[in-house]
Amino acid sequence: MSSGGATGGPKTDRLFTDKKQNLDDAYAAPSDFLEIDIIHPETHGLGKNRYSDYEVLMRTNIPIFKMKESSVRRRYSDFEWLKGELERDSKILVPPLPGKALARQLPFRGDDGLFEPAFIEARRTALEDFVNKIAGHPLAQNERCLHMFLQEPIIDKNYIPGKIKCAFDMIVKCCLFSLLSSYRVTSH
Amino acid sequence: MTTQGEPGSSLEDQEKLLDDAVRRVKRNAFDMKRCLDQSQVMDGVNHAGTMLDEMRTSLLSPKSYYMLYMNVSDELMHLSQFLVDEYGKGNRMPDLYELVQYCGNIVPRLYLLVTVGTAYIKVREGSRKNILRDLVEMCRGVQHPLRGLFLRNYLLQCTRLALPDTGQDKEQYGDGGVEDSIEFIHLNFGEMNKLWVRMQYQGHSREKEKREKERLELRVLVGTNLVRLSDLQGIDAECYKKQVLPGILDQVIQCRDPISQEYLLECVISVFPDEFHLQTLESILRTCQKLHERVAIRKIVVSLLERLIKFSENPDSGGIPSDILIFNIFSVEVSELIQNHKSVATVDGLAMLSSVLNLALTVYPKEISYVDQLLSFCLKCVESVPEADINNITLKELLKLLKVPIDAYNHVLTIIKLETYAPLMARLGYQHRKDLSVYLCQNLIDTGIEIPTPQEAEEFLGLIESLIKKQSDEPTGEIDPEDFSEEQNLVGQVVHRLVSPVNDQQYHVLTTAKKYFTEGGEERLRYTLPPLVFAAMKLVRRYYADKDADDKWEKKLQHIFQFISQIIHSISSAGLSELSLRLFIQAALSADRVHVETIAYEFVSQAFMIYEEEISDSKAQMSAITLLVGMLEQMGSLGEENHETLRSKCAVTSNKLLRKSNQCRAVALCSNLFWSGRIAESNAHLRDGQRVVECLRKALKIANQCMEAAAQVQLFIEVLNYYLYYYEKECESVTIQILEQLIRKINDSLPHLGANEEAEQIHKHFQLTIQHVVHRQKLSEGSTGGPNYAKLKII
Repeated sequence: MSSGGATGGPKTDRLFTDKKQNLDDAYAAPSDFLEIDIIHPETHGLGKNRYSDYEVLMRTNIPIFKMKESSVRRRYSDFEWLKGELERDSKILVPPLPGKALARQLPFRGDDGLFEPAFIEARRTALEDFVNKIAGHPLAQNERCLHMFLQEPIIDKNYIPGKIKCAFDMIVKCCLFSLLSSYRVTSH
Repeated sequence: MTTQGEPGSSLEDQEKLLDDAVRRVKRNAFDMKRCLDQSQVMDGVNHAGTMLDEMRTSLLSPKSYYMLYMNVSDELMHLSQFLVDEYGKGNRMPDLYELVQYCGNIVPRLYLLVTVGTAYIKVREGSRKNILRDLVEMCRGVQHPLRGLFLRNYLLQCTRLALPDTGQDKEQYGDGGVEDSIEFIHLNFGEMNKLWVRMQYQGHSREKEKREKERLELRVLVGTNLVRLSDLQGIDAECYKKQVLPGILDQVIQCRDPISQEYLLECVISVFPDEFHLQTLESILRTCQKLHERVAIRKIVVSLLERLIKFSENPDSGGIPSDILIFNIFSVEVSELIQNHKSVATVDGLAMLSSVLNLALTVYPKEISYVDQLLSFCLKCVESVPEADINNITLKELLKLLKVPIDAYNHVLTIIKLETYAPLMARLGYQHRKDLSVYLCQNLIDTGIEIPTPQEAEEFLGLIESLIKKQSDEPTGEIDPEDFSEEQNLVGQVVHRLVSPVNDQQYHVLTTAKKYFTEGGEERLRYTLPPLVFAAMKLVRRYYADKDADDKWEKKLQHIFQFISQIIHSISSAGLSELSLRLFIQAALSADRVHVETIAYEFVSQAFMIYEEEISDSKAQMSAITLLVGMLEQMGSLGEENHETLRSKCAVTSNKLLRKSNQCRAVALCSNLFWSGRIAESNAHLRDGQRVVECLRKALKIANQCMEAAAQVQLFIEVLNYYLYYYEKECESVTIQILEQLIRKINDSLPHLGANEEAEQIHKHFQLTIQHVVHRQKLSEGSTGGPNYAKLKII
């Protein structure tokens, strides 16, 4: 925090407009509401086939998403898949996932290993953090894989990767709109 | 559970973050002041900018951010003071105003701009109007809710004394008018409200409550705008109505945010003067119609009404102007609200109507029709809701509403005149109806008002019916006997407030009351009927006193005595024999006073009948016979024949008592009848010494039969006292011999008593009696009149 100082940057320009802002817009709810909760972890199967999954509950008003509210169940490997797809296809810097916890998968542990409630809870908050960061990114929102991960009941790993075009235009519009509706921009 | 690892969410984290930030602020402020002291302005401003970087943080909670803000704004005061005092001399303010706009970050840049801008105004170099306008526009650069709110609060704080106003201010600055201030504050207010409302959308939706709490903590920041507006002297009622208020209400309505709407309207009501509100009642009330359904509209309307009531009561205010039909406005607008706004529940409606009622009663105390109008609207409201939906809270509100006119008029006769009062009261339900009845009775008793006509009595008793008779909706559970008797005693007191100045009318009033009370059931009439008997006896005395003016008085008295007799009979048939015996005795004395022998005799004989048929407990018998003898001794209207019958009846009855000691005492008591009893023919006392002595001798004989020594001696002493009494009254049949004989007898018996507390008492009694005799002996020495004790020898 040392960017202060009176001569550090360019001077502010005034952007004069006679038009009064419409009060409806001024008080409107934000148009980029997005909230993803990872909840209700459950453990299924036995022995080697034992695994945990989580409910991914999503609420949004961003038009690019097909549904305003959706709920799917995903396991850790699905998150890994999503990360891989995004790293390959999109330009964004994908944040790290919580560790694979290999040590917990060794035999002869005193506890329940991967299925310890405390571990599941820690992983749950980390996954929630991860998915919110990704889904909030406008560029990630174009990727078909994200939509499938969040809103399709079953992930088809043989899908054809691609962008969601028409919605992309919407985003551009949204961005422009929000730029226009803030009154003063620093220029030069 | 922390959400997404957000830093600074725990209390300790907050403290540490704040401490660190404040430490950095202090350090930079120190550098700033050092530079300013050496007149290195640019370096000082640079340090101020670095200090202001702290305000860019996102890590602090609103509370900690506020603490940080306080520190920073304190330090900025130095800068501002320096700019006004020192820099202004010889330096050009516009240059500095330009220069600070090159600050790298928007938040510090705008804090500096506001600081320099206000100094600029204070040294009166530039156009105040333009600078203010520029500042309020520039602040739009910060759209983050928390940071924006505090920046704009800083703007308000700095410009507090620099806003254009009328009067002195105009001469000092010469530029800008009050309209510019209004526009400036309107703009700032709109922006701040927007930021404040947007806070709601920050963070996860599960933290909604926490955010609402934080928003409430910050509300004063937004409200300060309204306070600034109310501080402007140049705003009059007209300007407020046309310009100021519409600008505020626009934002209030459009923001559609319940927290903001509720707070801002309350703020408007509390910061602006009542004279302004009187001019804008309709727009405020119509705004209420457009509010979000979570807004407590009732609170807003009630607080407005309460202010206006206080205003109209204040003698300095000059009252409410007659051209403002305040009652009409409120009754129309509030009923609109109740009918049209879906979040206004019946209970809220009633609370608002209660306040309107209060207003009507304060401002227009004589307009009963207003009150009736409101009550019938209340009734309509209550009736429009299915009975099942009316809960206890609603009923409590209705109860409160119905108490309003009682308190205001302090006159139950006016309450009776309100046509809708009774039907509305009927809606209350048993318990509340009873509470209100108690309240009405208490008011009647406290005010001492008298209910003069049978119609009014009928209506009043109808209102308090839940106290008088069993109700169809009464719960079946057990009644607390203490509460019950308290209530019924209250009703008993009400009887004495049923008073007409006209005798004939009073009679009708009492018969009306009797009609109600006799329906009350046995458990109630012991409380309600005796007062009615006494009220009737009071009327007997009134008729007798006015007998010369009314030739039918005897006939009328007969009616009243019949009335009394009926009431006492109802009491007696409820099994209350001791009470009815006493009432018959009272009635007999009452009839005796007005010299109607036959009726008096009838009442006495009724009393004896109850004695004989109903009273069997020996203690009760003794006290009854004492009363009967006392009554007969007091009476003067009986002829010899009747008197003879009754006094022998007393003697015979006394003789028949079970216990010897009671017999002895009662017989001795009867001696009074032969001495001070009076008969109508001669209107003189009987003074029959012969019979007196017979009675006392008989009493002694009975005492002799008493087996227990102590009791016997006690009785001897009591009889001795009777003898002494009659001796002193110069009853010739009482002789010295009789006295000496009895004293000797007592002296003989006393030593056998032994030594205990009871014996001691008896000794004492005897000693005092003898002392009295000795005293009288000394007094009579040398005097000729009075009883002659000289010959009495006390051994």
